[in-house]
Amino acid sequence: MGNGHFGAGSRKKIFNALIVIALLIMIGRLYQLQFVYQDEWGKKSRDNSVRTIAIEPVRGLIYDRRGRLIVDNRPSYTVTVTPNEFRYEIIPDLAMLLGLDEQVLRNRIDRARQWSRFAPSKINRDVDFEVIVHLEEFRDRYPGVGYVVEAKRHYNSRARMSHVLGYTNEVSERQLSRYPEIYHPGDIVGAAGIEATYENVLRGERGFEYVVVNARGQFVGQFAEGQRNIPAGEGSDLFLTIDAELQAQAEELLGDRRGSIVAIDPQTGGILALVSKPDYDLSNFSGVTSPEIWTALNADTSRPLFNRAVSSIYPPGSTYKMVLAAAALEEGIIHENWTVNCPGFFRLGRGVYRCHRPEGHGRVNVVEAIQKSCNVYFYQLILNVGFERWSRYGRLFGFGRRTGIGSIEETPGILPDTDYYDRVYGVGQWTRGNLISLAIGQGEVSVTPLQMAVYAMLLANKGKLHQPHLVSHTYDTHSRTIFELPYNTEEIVLSEKTWDLIRTGMNKTVDADGGTGRGAQIQGIASAGKTGTSQNPHGEGHAWYVGFAPYDNPHIAIAVIIENVGFGGRYAAPVAGRLIDQYLKSIVIRDAPQRTIPVTYDRTATGNDER
Amino acid sequence: MRFRSNKIKSEDGSSVDVVLIACTLFLTAIGLISIYSASYDAGGSVFFQRQLMWAVFGCIGMAIMFFISPRIIEMLAIVAHLAILGVLAVVPFMGKTVAGTTAWLELGPFSFQPSEVAKITTILVLALYLSKNNSNIKSIKTLFFAGLIVAFPMGLVLMQADVGTSLIFFLMYIPVVYWAGASPFVVLILVAPFFIGLASLIGTTALLIALGILLVALLLLRENGFLSAVVFGLNSAVAVSVQFFYERLAPHQQMRIANFLDPGSDPLGIGYNVIQSKVAIGSGGLTGKGFLNGTQTQLNFIPAQWTDFIFCVPGEEFGFIGASLVIILLGVLFLRGIRIASVVKSKFASLVAVGFIGILFFHTVINIGMTIGLMPVIGIPLPFLSYGGSALFSKMIMIGMLSAFYLNRKEYS
Repeated sequence: MGNGHFGAGSRKKIFNALIVIALLIMIGRLYQLQFVYQDEWGKKSRDNSVRTIAIEPVRGLIYDRRGRLIVDNRPSYTVTVTPNEFRYEIIPDLAMLLGLDEQVLRNRIDRARQWSRFAPSKINRDVDFEVIVHLEEFRDRYPGVGYVVEAKRHYNSRARMSHVLGYTNEVSERQLSRYPEIYHPGDIVGAAGIEATYENVLRGERGFEYVVVNARGQFVGQFAEGQRNIPAGEGSDLFLTIDAELQAQAEELLGDRRGSIVAIDPQTGGILALVSKPDYDLSNFSGVTSPEIWTALNADTSRPLFNRAVSSIYPPGSTYKMVLAAAALEEGIIHENWTVNCPGFFRLGRGVYRCHRPEGHGRVNVVEAIQKSCNVYFYQLILNVGFERWSRYGRLFGFGRRTGIGSIEETPGILPDTDYYDRVYGVGQWTRGNLISLAIGQGEVSVTPLQMAVYAMLLANKGKLHQPHLVSHTYDTHSRTIFELPYNTEEIVLSEKTWDLIRTGMNKTVDADGGTGRGAQIQGIASAGKTGTSQNPHGEGHAWYVGFAPYDNPHIAIAVIIENVGFGGRYAAPVAGRLIDQYLKSIVIRDAPQRTIPVTYDRTATGNDER
Repeated sequence: MRFRSNKIKSEDGSSVDVVLIACTLFLTAIGLISIYSASYDAGGSVFFQRQLMWAVFGCIGMAIMFFISPRIIEMLAIVAHLAILGVLAVVPFMGKTVAGTTAWLELGPFSFQPSEVAKITTILVLALYLSKNNSNIKSIKTLFFAGLIVAFPMGLVLMQADVGTSLIFFLMYIPVVYWAGASPFVVLILVAPFFIGLASLIGTTALLIALGILLVALLLLRENGFLSAVVFGLNSAVAVSVQFFYERLAPHQQMRIANFLDPGSDPLGIGYNVIQSKVAIGSGGLTGKGFLNGTQTQLNFIPAQWTDFIFCVPGEEFGFIGASLVIILLGVLFLRGIRIASVVKSKFASLVAVGFIGILFFHTVINIGMTIGLMPVIGIPLPFLSYGGSALFSKMIMIGMLSAFYLNRKEYS
């Protein structure tokens, strides 16, 4: 058998030989790397190392629908410290120069030291240019102190647009661990609004530069003559559907009052203005956000960081009556001449429910009921229509579901149905009395201002519902291509007659005597709308107005809510009227010559004329 | 059984293989020093302290194993193996994921890698099976069942997406069956497709050379002509099908394979670590830059260097002398292990010794080979040096068992 048996000596020899050969190969390679390779690279490879320096991409710019530059970038100087070269005795000097507390500075340098002793760490963002000049001038006094130029967001528009744009912030620990290949510590990322939603588009791609540094970490030269360098890919520009002028007017009209305004272009679903008040100043967030500002914003009970337009839910009040009217007409429960007599109150069992006009509206048909916002008419109507149909039409009209604007903060609101009531009250524990509140948009039904604007668009379009959106297209600066962003369109098919009656009621609300929305009337242009006042436990009712104009060919649909001020007709309707008026004038004047010229986007030329 | 008893006599008196133990402790100490240096800036001394604690546990474990008779180990092997297989099976569902691999179980403050223990128990059961009298290593049936013993834990480890470790399971099978008496022809059958496939990816010339070598090897082994022809034919088929699939891959997938074979072609991705580790080692020179003075190491050029790329630390900071010392210590340890395998009377102990040395050897060759740019990047730790408690502990347990085998070398099982 020779060497074929168990553990034969020849096999031991083979194993030993293999071990020795592997050993020799590895040691031979070490010799090659550590002696031959060294000769090849000479002194360089002994003292020098290649260091990768990230080149931060320039974040994309943001324009409004008319090409006005809203957000761009400005240089911002960040002071860095390389701990190994830094001398602690200059801390008092440096702290004074940077306007920092000595202990704070010391802590930051200690943290930097823990990360790397040899690499520069960012110590203080957004310092004044004078500080940089001083550092440059007295370089030898500040060993290991350097600076890098970064970009910070700069806002050019009169409109604040806090909630639309959102702020940028330093990348969080969670994002860092989730996307380690994308983010580095100290990176700036979009944290809210469009900056967050379109982070991937705006961010661009980090580039890399390979530089040779010596053992002390000092720059010696470009690695491989810079041939390996990868330039940064700039972020794409965003073109919003927002009209900055209208936005600014809307913000100013709301002023210090709490509330929200959302205006939509009914032909596309593009948001023209989206205001949530109180808001905050975005420029506080570019550069460094001081902890005081953070604390103040978070502690503020009126919650300025909160985007009321998509996150707050309110009872819609009387603005919701068109849903019920549509259900009744479309299902053949009533016709145009079906009337209810309003004595100023409505009895159901032992309950008495009031109309807002104590002396009553008399006999009203559906158009008049909308025009005058007669509660009694709708109390009666919901009993005829029934809960199930009411819920179904509510859903059809976009309530109880997200509009799909693409904001993570968006809530779907509440649209009660039988399941919901069974869950909340228990099966058989709720009565027709619960329905009475729903008839006038009170009770559990809750909507966001954005949903109301979409509702206004749907009424303006006789059922055509475009997905609301804030960005119309992006522009890739590298490939010089425009990408149109797609949006969905749904069609709610109701009979022409139904639309006609409801819309006539809305038109009369604004343009005819006795309408509750007279305040929204616009000279020379037929418009339509509906007021609402939603009762709430915090004091005066919230003033609502939804509407659109021009009546026959709508170019703007709007929802306005002002919290705790009182009647919608008195407070919200005039605000909406002024905005609609100014917007329509602006598109007549400004769009007329532009219509025939194809719009070109030039990053250098656009926008500045608007500042 | 035929043992060369004349050699044993001359060393009859010694009860402990001092060289083996000394190599182990020396390597562990170098590992601790390297981890201290590599993690000096990144996260302070936490890594060092944890590894030190595990090294102490490992020494205790090693000492305990020394006093356990091989017979007891033989008796407990199957139970232990089944238990660890059970644990392995739940790891993909309950385990902790580190760098894409779900191989860790959390036990209170400790993370523990069951696959490390599974390597030991698999070798034990494999050795047990092959040392039984009714197993005939010449029969295909025996080889097949032995293969199953290995394939089972290997499959479970693959489920944890730990390709490196499962490769070790496959590789360790080869020296054990060879030591048990399997013909070199069997080894050739197991190894050839890998080299042929690899060569086929590298290029036509490489493939022709590899096929030539295979042909010469088959002729030299003088097995049955028909079988040899079949083996050659199957390997040629492997080459063709590898080519066939490669050409049908998407360009980025082809790129990944190319980068795997030649990490230098992707300096920012997979090749980044390799390039940096070569620079680190290359810049070490004869005596190195000194402890804590390696610029590559201290500037954190190599991410998580204390795990798979730990070998750069001695390479850079202690130079050719330090790196060669590590390799020589490991080499001496392997040679001592093979010596134990050939002096023990128990067939079981002998096979276990070969298996353990096989594990340590393949770990070493793949890891160092990767670090010095001779092997593709496969993430497995360097024995005794890489950061990782269960790996260090289980390897010290192996050494403890080897010492116990040596102590009881005159016992037949």
